[in-house]
Amino acid sequence: MFLYVLRRLFLLIPMLLGLTVIVFAIARLLPGDPVGLAAGPNATPEIIASVAKEFGLDQPIPVQYWNYLTGLVQGDWGVSIFTRRPVFEDVMTYLPATLELVFAALLFAIVVGIPLGLLAAVYRNGPLDYITRTVALGGIAMPRFFLGLLLQLGFAVALDWLPLSGRFPLIESTPEPITGLYTIDALLVGDWYSFTIALQHLALPAFAMSLSPLATIMRMMRASTIEVLQQDFVMTERALGLSSRLILFKYVLKNAMSSTLTVIGLYVSWLLGGTVLVETVFDWPGLGLYATQAILTQDFMPVIGVTLVIATIYLLSMLVVDILYGVFNPKVRYA
Amino acid sequence: MTMIPVNVPKRDQSARMENWSRAFYRFRQSWLSVFGLAIVLLLILLAIFAPVIIPYPEHVLGTTNTAARFLPPSSAAWFGTNALGQDMFSLVLAGSRVSLFSGLAVVIISILVGSFVGAVAGYFGGWIDEILMRFTDLLLTIPSLILAMAVAAALGTGVGNMIIAISITWWPAYARLVRGEVIGKKEEQFITAARALGAGWPRILGLHILPNIMSPIVVKASLDMGFAILTVASLGFVGIGVKAPTPEWGTLLSVARSSMPDYWWTALAPGFAIFLAVLAFNLLGDGLRDVLDPKARR
Amino acid sequence: MALLEITNLNLAMSSYEGETHILKGIDLKIERGEIWGMVGETGSGKSLTGLSISRLIGSPPGRYLDGSILFEGRDVLKASDKEMRKLRGRHIGMIFQDPTTNLNPVFRIGTQLVDVALHAGSTDPSILGLTASASRGQRKKAARALSIEMLDKVGIPNAAERIDDYPHQFSGGMRQRVLIAMAMIGKPDLLIADEPTTALDVSVQEQILRLIHDLVEERNIGVLLITHNLGVVAQICSHVAVMYRGRILEAGPVGDVLKRPAHAYTQALLDSIPTVHTKRGELRGVSGVMPEFDL
Repeated sequence: MFLYVLRRLFLLIPMLLGLTVIVFAIARLLPGDPVGLAAGPNATPEIIASVAKEFGLDQPIPVQYWNYLTGLVQGDWGVSIFTRRPVFEDVMTYLPATLELVFAALLFAIVVGIPLGLLAAVYRNGPLDYITRTVALGGIAMPRFFLGLLLQLGFAVALDWLPLSGRFPLIESTPEPITGLYTIDALLVGDWYSFTIALQHLALPAFAMSLSPLATIMRMMRASTIEVLQQDFVMTERALGLSSRLILFKYVLKNAMSSTLTVIGLYVSWLLGGTVLVETVFDWPGLGLYATQAILTQDFMPVIGVTLVIATIYLLSMLVVDILYGVFNPKVRYA
Repeated sequence: MTMIPVNVPKRDQSARMENWSRAFYRFRQSWLSVFGLAIVLLLILLAIFAPVIIPYPEHVLGTTNTAARFLPPSSAAWFGTNALGQDMFSLVLAGSRVSLFSGLAVVIISILVGSFVGAVAGYFGGWIDEILMRFTDLLLTIPSLILAMAVAAALGTGVGNMIIAISITWWPAYARLVRGEVIGKKEEQFITAARALGAGWPRILGLHILPNIMSPIVVKASLDMGFAILTVASLGFVGIGVKAPTPEWGTLLSVARSSMPDYWWTALAPGFAIFLAVLAFNLLGDGLRDVLDPKARR
Repeated sequence: MALLEITNLNLAMSSYEGETHILKGIDLKIERGEIWGMVGETGSGKSLTGLSISRLIGSPPGRYLDGSILFEGRDVLKASDKEMRKLRGRHIGMIFQDPTTNLNPVFRIGTQLVDVALHAGSTDPSILGLTASASRGQRKKAARALSIEMLDKVGIPNAAERIDDYPHQFSGGMRQRVLIAMAMIGKPDLLIADEPTTALDVSVQEQILRLIHDLVEERNIGVLLITHNLGVVAQICSHVAVMYRGRILEAGPVGDVLKRPAHAYTQALLDSIPTVHTKRGELRGVSGVMPEFDL
């Protein structure tokens, strides 16, 4: 098992390398003139040249790539033409917010989706099943940003149960930064007050992000559970007296997890890449907003930085999924 | 060497027709699928006949009516009016042309590019396969929305650029699908037979293999239509892609957002339109999958 | 009091085509120490009879029209679900045909054995060698120890290590032994074996049958061995019942039935077994096709 993990970790390195090449190539090959934009409309050729030099854009592309790569490893990810700050700093500032959003959404989708999908299969064609299937159909079709708006209108404006936007009220002090995720940090020091505030702000955006994965996870669990329930070993387990609860939530669950795991893996990419849609609606200061702003100003260093970070996180989560495959299906471990 | 004349009978058309009619019969059994198909057809009709149906075509062209700004839904304007007094329903209806057309274009381009890459990789195997698939996999690790946004922004505004940008992120999925299918089919006997008869690879791929792997592609395409429309709207919402005054559901929603919460109804029409379109194509795609994919069970 | 007494059992099953009367008046009496073979062709209703004893047939699609199944005097057909669960695993053990699909592939065999042992131990802690006041930890330890003991008893070498292995790490015959261990770990009084050797090859079959036989002798349990193989019946059964289309045509001590069959069908079954002397082209069967049916 350990070797399995190690092997997969090693395979990550060439993938990451390839990733940097592709991302850098795409960024540089695209038309666009960040220097011109940064220098401003009244720039003279001298100013343009000095701006270009400042950002190292006067070198040939392969040299630029090499410089970038060496800088990347050392923590120098270039400077954002727009914010004039190192990209690394910017990314580290905005990353925790996005991670918190993605984690919360995924956690909710898994914790609610898996049992509901399982039960929907057990009580097939019952009321729970119909509700689950309806939510599943609607959830996949509902655009995150529209859902976010509706949630705001409903829960923040009409009912006033939850805050409208933002991550934390400006007048309050944010929890001691340990991970950067306010909810976790507040929990770690036992600060219930901050935890509640952070959770209230997190609730609506996380739900808006989670509906689509929730829907698909429920569908997938339902389908695999139906299949597993038809297996012979379920009959043996029943025949030997094991309780339905034990059979379902221990034995059937584990068998049904594998295909759901695939779904979860695919959604990590969807979640990571699409946070901007919800961040925009809720003024959530995350990487999505940062990247979009960079994109609109054709500021490619931040775009590269954000893309690489998100792609790396995605690759790591794929690794976790692979490891979990080994946990849920022992035959894979010995392959 | 003389050629021995062979009497090859013409392909049996009736069997193929029979297959399709049987499939359609099964499709009709699921009312959800039929509902999806109905809505899809409705959307297509609306898009095609939009110029005729739009209640207030002048609004779509840019005319404003500031006296009637921000009117709530009424019999005159079913979804109310926006900041410029324009009828939301008309705008959304006009937007359907952009959204549907863009979605279709994205899917078609992705299928064409992806199928070619996937077919070549799957058929030839070896290092061609390795290189193509490594590249495809790497592209798949980059979250598609960010990549699409970056490319779209760099290429500039406009429907065409947006379509190209999204297609760049969508074709890899088709490449993988087609590659898998081709690998599955190429070992079959009828391919060996075709090769023995002297068919070259373009003929084998185009005439023999591709027609037999249409089903999963069709299923994926119909499901993807919805998500393509969603992606187009997402780009519009973020401010990349189509520019005013072209109405597009995403941009309409983004504009509506700025007049929240007081005039919240301006968001209803575009948002609901997106939802309906995606739902319809999903239902259709699910229905097709249940009918065309022999492995799928309810 | 007989261990198991089935009287006039009538079962109907519904499917897309409507309801079919499957079991028509089954009578059977099994005492401790007896190994009853139940032979018949596929579709004769033998499996359904076996499943009925443990009430494993759901209420749709199954419906009991008449009759009773008395297990140690109590009518199983009138028992509640809770009462049935107490019987299963603890008083009635069951094994099925295919050892590959009857073990949960993603769990270690130890886990599955321990869970059955714990279940049996919850109704009767003496199985685990404990009293009712034993803690959860003590029970788990005892269950594990008992599992290793059972694996050893059914002939799995290196039981203490192999208990943590997964099913795919065992051969077919070993897996069936594991399943027998699982069925017997609760020290049941009745073992129902539904075609336990059909999926195994002949040499392994012999070992499994011998194992069952030894268990019967050691613990004085009753066995219902469902099979379509008369050879198996001849090998270890003490009694046999011949089933055809939901009825028992004849039943009795194995020597009597096989040597002096009272019913023509039994004779036909015996005649259809090819022997070394059967000449080419002389194979005889029983004509007709059984109705298709599933659970």
